[in-house]
Amino acid sequence: MDGAKVTPGRTAGLYAGAAVLRLAICTLLPQLPDLLTGRVEISTPVTSFKRLQEGLFLYNHNVSPYDGGVYHQAPLFLPLFSLLPDFSSLPIFTYLLYIAADLLSARALWRIVDSGEAGSSALFTSPRREKRWSGFTIAALFLFNPFTVATCLGRSTSVFTTCAILHAIAKAVSGAPFGAMVALSFASYLSMYPLLLLPPLVLLSYDRQRPERATKSALKFAATCVFVVAGVLAVLFQMSYLVTGSWEFLPSTYGVQLTLSDLTPNVGLWWYFFVEMFDSFRSFFLAVFWLHLASYVGGLTIRIRRQPLVVLTLLLGIFGIFKPYPSISDTSLFLALVPLYRHVFPLMRYTFVIAAVILYATFLGPAFYHLWIYAGSGNANFFYAITLVWGLGQSLLVCDLMFAVLRDEWEVERPEMVGKEIRQI
Amino acid sequence: MGNPLALAMSTQQPPDNGAANLESSSTSAITLSNNDGVQGKKQPPPEKPSDIRRRSHIILSFWLIVLCLGLPIWWKTTTIYRADLPLQEMLDWSDGKACRPVFPLHISIQANALQEHEAQNLLRLTQHALDDLNDFSGHHLRLQLAPPSAAGHYDRDSVLTIRLAPGETTTAKFDPHEPVLDITYPSNGIPSPTSSSSPLATYVAGQLRSAFAEEQAAISSLLSANSIPSDHRPQGFSPDASDALSKRPARSLRYAPTYHLTFSLFTSGPLPSSWDIEGAIDQYMKPVLDILSPIHNFTIDTQVQLYATPGVQNEVLNKEDLSSFINAAEWPLSPSIGGAPTINFIVFVGNQTIATLSQQSPGEGDDAPASASHSWLIPQWGTVYLLPLPHDTTHLPASALKQPLLAFTSHLLSLTGIPQSGSLPLRLSTLARIRSADLLLRASSTLGSLARLALALPSISIPRSVADGVAKTIKHLRLACESLGEPEGLAHARIAEAEAERAFFEKSMVGQLYFPDEHKIAVYLPLLGPVAVPLVMGLINELKAWRKRRWEAAEAGKGKKME
Repeated sequence: MDGAKVTPGRTAGLYAGAAVLRLAICTLLPQLPDLLTGRVEISTPVTSFKRLQEGLFLYNHNVSPYDGGVYHQAPLFLPLFSLLPDFSSLPIFTYLLYIAADLLSARALWRIVDSGEAGSSALFTSPRREKRWSGFTIAALFLFNPFTVATCLGRSTSVFTTCAILHAIAKAVSGAPFGAMVALSFASYLSMYPLLLLPPLVLLSYDRQRPERATKSALKFAATCVFVVAGVLAVLFQMSYLVTGSWEFLPSTYGVQLTLSDLTPNVGLWWYFFVEMFDSFRSFFLAVFWLHLASYVGGLTIRIRRQPLVVLTLLLGIFGIFKPYPSISDTSLFLALVPLYRHVFPLMRYTFVIAAVILYATFLGPAFYHLWIYAGSGNANFFYAITLVWGLGQSLLVCDLMFAVLRDEWEVERPEMVGKEIRQI
Repeated sequence: MGNPLALAMSTQQPPDNGAANLESSSTSAITLSNNDGVQGKKQPPPEKPSDIRRRSHIILSFWLIVLCLGLPIWWKTTTIYRADLPLQEMLDWSDGKACRPVFPLHISIQANALQEHEAQNLLRLTQHALDDLNDFSGHHLRLQLAPPSAAGHYDRDSVLTIRLAPGETTTAKFDPHEPVLDITYPSNGIPSPTSSSSPLATYVAGQLRSAFAEEQAAISSLLSANSIPSDHRPQGFSPDASDALSKRPARSLRYAPTYHLTFSLFTSGPLPSSWDIEGAIDQYMKPVLDILSPIHNFTIDTQVQLYATPGVQNEVLNKEDLSSFINAAEWPLSPSIGGAPTINFIVFVGNQTIATLSQQSPGEGDDAPASASHSWLIPQWGTVYLLPLPHDTTHLPASALKQPLLAFTSHLLSLTGIPQSGSLPLRLSTLARIRSADLLLRASSTLGSLARLALALPSISIPRSVADGVAKTIKHLRLACESLGEPEGLAHARIAEAEAERAFFEKSMVGQLYFPDEHKIAVYLPLLGPVAVPLVMGLINELKAWRKRRWEAAEAGKGKKME
C-alpha cells in the first residue's frame, strides 16, 4: 500500500470507483437507501433526509418549514435542494450531489495527508514520520469505509458538515487561514458543534501561515479569525432570515440541539439520560452535558499545542461520542482522520480490543434496536446498552490515540526511554 | 472517561517479566537484562518548568469552565422559584378570621293603609319579635318601611317586600312571580302605640322566620362544616330544618360553575325518530336557565337512540324498578363531557307506566311521583320521563315536549340545590346566597390548603402564576365578603373559587409534591461524582506541588544566605 506512485489515472480511478459503487448500490438495490434513511444510526433529528424533505415540501408550498416541528436543519438547505429536480421523480440528482460532497471530502482529506502536517507540524517533528500512508490510501479508506458509504446512501445532511470540516482543515494546513475560517463557519452554520473546533483550527492556521504574509502576533491573528467567523456566520444568518422570513430557524435548529427537545433514540448517550431525567433538573443537566463537551477543547488545545491537527482529530472523536445527536457519520469523519497517524500506531496498546468492540457494537446495535422497536422482545435498555458499548469503543480509540501521540512527543525529550514500558503517575 | 491530559508521564520499570512490551522484542530484552525487579525504583528526572506551567494551565482551563460557567448555570437552573405568598392572610381566610359571613337581609314593608306612626310602631314590634326568635347572628333580617310612593311595586334592593292590606282575617300568601308576601289583617289587629306586643307583629315575624328557616339552616350548616368561630352558629336546629338539610345535598349535585345538560330521546321501537328539542328547550326551559345564569353556565347537547331497551322490561314500574330502569351498559350516557358534570334528561317513548300511588302501599309516596306519574328524579344524576305516544308518531313537535320539559325544569331546580319552600323568586335568591356562602368558604379553604402546603414543603416551587392567582382570589374574596347577599357577591365568589382552584392545581407544582433532599444525592452523584474526582484530585495535587516548590525555593534561599 505504502509508497506506491500516485498517477492521475489512479486518482481518477479511485474517485470513479467510489462514485460507481454508490450509484450501483442505489440503482441495483433501490430500497436500500430508503432503508438506510430510516435507520437511527444514520439519521438523527438534526440530519435526517426525511425531515429535510418535509421541510422542503413546506418551503415549496410557502409555509414556514419549521411549522411542523419536524425539520431542524439549516434553512439554506432548502433553496439548494429546491434547485434540484424533484427527488421522487429524479432521485439521481440528489445522489449525485451527495456523492460529489463525499468526493470533495476525500479530496480535502488527500490534501491534508499531502501536507505532512500529521507527521511534522511547525513546532514538532515526529521521529517516526517516515512510516505513513499515502493520500491515495487514506482517501480510499475514507471513501470505501462502510460508515461513509451508508451515510452517503442514507443522504444524511451531516455529509455536508463533514465536507466543510475537512475543507476547513485542508485550507488551514495549506496556509489559507481565511478559507479555513469560512469553511468552519459553514460547518458551524450547518451543525453548530464545529464552532468548538475554532481554537485548535486557529492555532493550526497560525502555525501554517505562508511566511510571506504571516501575522506575527498570535492575539491579532486569533482576533482576525474570530472576526471572520463571526462575519461569515452573520451573513449566513442574514441569508437564512431572507429565505425563511423570520428568525424562527434559530430556536428550531440550534435550539433543538441545545435543549434536546427531540428525544428520538440515536447512537449517542444523551437521549436515554434525558428520557429518564426529572423535569426540574433537565436544564441543569443539559448545561452539564454541553459544558462537558466544551471542556475538552481548552485542555486538549493547551496540552497538545505543538500538534493542532491531533487536537482537531481527538475533538472530532470526542464529539462523535458526546454530542447531542451523534450518528455513524461523525464516527466516519473521525475514522477518516485517524489513519493520518499511521506512524504512531505501533505505540497504541489496545488496537485489537478497539476493533473488536467497534465491530461488536456495529453488528449488535441494529439487532438490539430491532429487538426493542420491532420484535418487542427487548426494551430501551437493550439499545442503550449497545450504544454505551459503541461509545466505549470510540472513547478507547480516542484515549489510545492520545496516549500514542503523547508518548511519541515524550520520546523526543527522553530518547533513552524509547521502547520501554511506561506508566502514568 | 479517564482523562490523561493533566497527568504527566513518568517511567516505571515493568514490575515483573510477564508484562511484555508491545513494541520490539529487542528493546524489551534490554529492559529485562537491565533490572531483575529487585532494584529500587528509579526516580524520574525533574519536570521542566514549561511542563509544570502547562499543567497548571490545563487544570486552570477546566476549573475556569466549572467556576465561570458551571456554577452560575447550576445556581440559575436549580434554584427553586418560590413566589411570595401572603401566607398569614391565606390562613386567616381559611380560619374564618378574615371575613365574618354576614347576610343582612332587608325586608321592606308596604303598609299604605296605615298611618305613618302606626306603621312605624308595627315595624318596631315586628323587628323585636324577629330578634327574639333569631339566634343566628350571621343571618339577620332587617325591616324597613317602604315609602308610600312605591305602592304597587316591590323594592328591588330588598330581598322581600311585605304588602300589608286590611282584610277579613289574618292571612299570608306569597306572590308566585315576585318576591312579595301579601299579608292581610283584620282591622282590629293594628297595635296601639303604647302596647308592647301585638298578635299581628308576632304573626308577621313568624311568617318571615319560616320563610327563611331553610336558608338559615343551610348557611349555618355550611359555616359549621367549615371552621367558623362558634359564636356565629345557631344554638339548635329545628328537626324539620335538619331533615331538609340532610336531604338537600343528597339530592343536588355538587356545585360546579358549568353544568352540561344532555337531552336524550330513547324509543323502544323505530319511531319517533326526530324531535324538535331545540324549540322546546327555547320555549320551556330557557327562561329558567336564564334566571340561573348568574349562578351556573349551562351547555347542552341532545341525542336520539332508537330500539333502546330499558333495564327493566315490566309494563308497570314499581318504585324498586325505577332505580334500575336506566340501561347503563347500552345507553350512551357518558358520565361527563369535558370538565363539567353532566345532568341527564331522558325522554323514554314506550308503553311502560309507573305504578300510581294507589297501587303502591300508601304512606310511602314521598319520592314517588304523585302529581306527575310520568317522571322520576334520580338524585345527582338527572331525570327520566316516560312519554306514551301513538305508535305511528314519526316526529315529536315542541308542543308534545312541553310536559317533559316542565318536569325537567322543576327537577333541574332541585338538582341545583334550590330550597323546597317559598315562591320561586325567593327560592332563587336564597340559592344565590347559599351558593355565594358556599363558594366563599370553599375558596377560603383552598387558600388555606395552599398556604399549609407551601409551609409544609419548603422544596416545592411556587410559580408566579400561583402568586397571581392567590392575589386575585384574595381580592375577589374581599369584594365578595363585602357584598354578600347581593348579586355581585356571588359573581366575585365565583371568580375567587375558580382562581383558587387554578392556583392550587398548578401543574408544575403538583409534579414536585414529594422531593426530599436525599434524592438530590441520587440525582447529582452518579454523573457529577466521577467527573469531580479527577478535577478535584488534579487541583489538590497541583496545589500541593506548588506549596512544595515554594518551600523548596525558600529553603534554597536560606541556604544561600547561610553561605
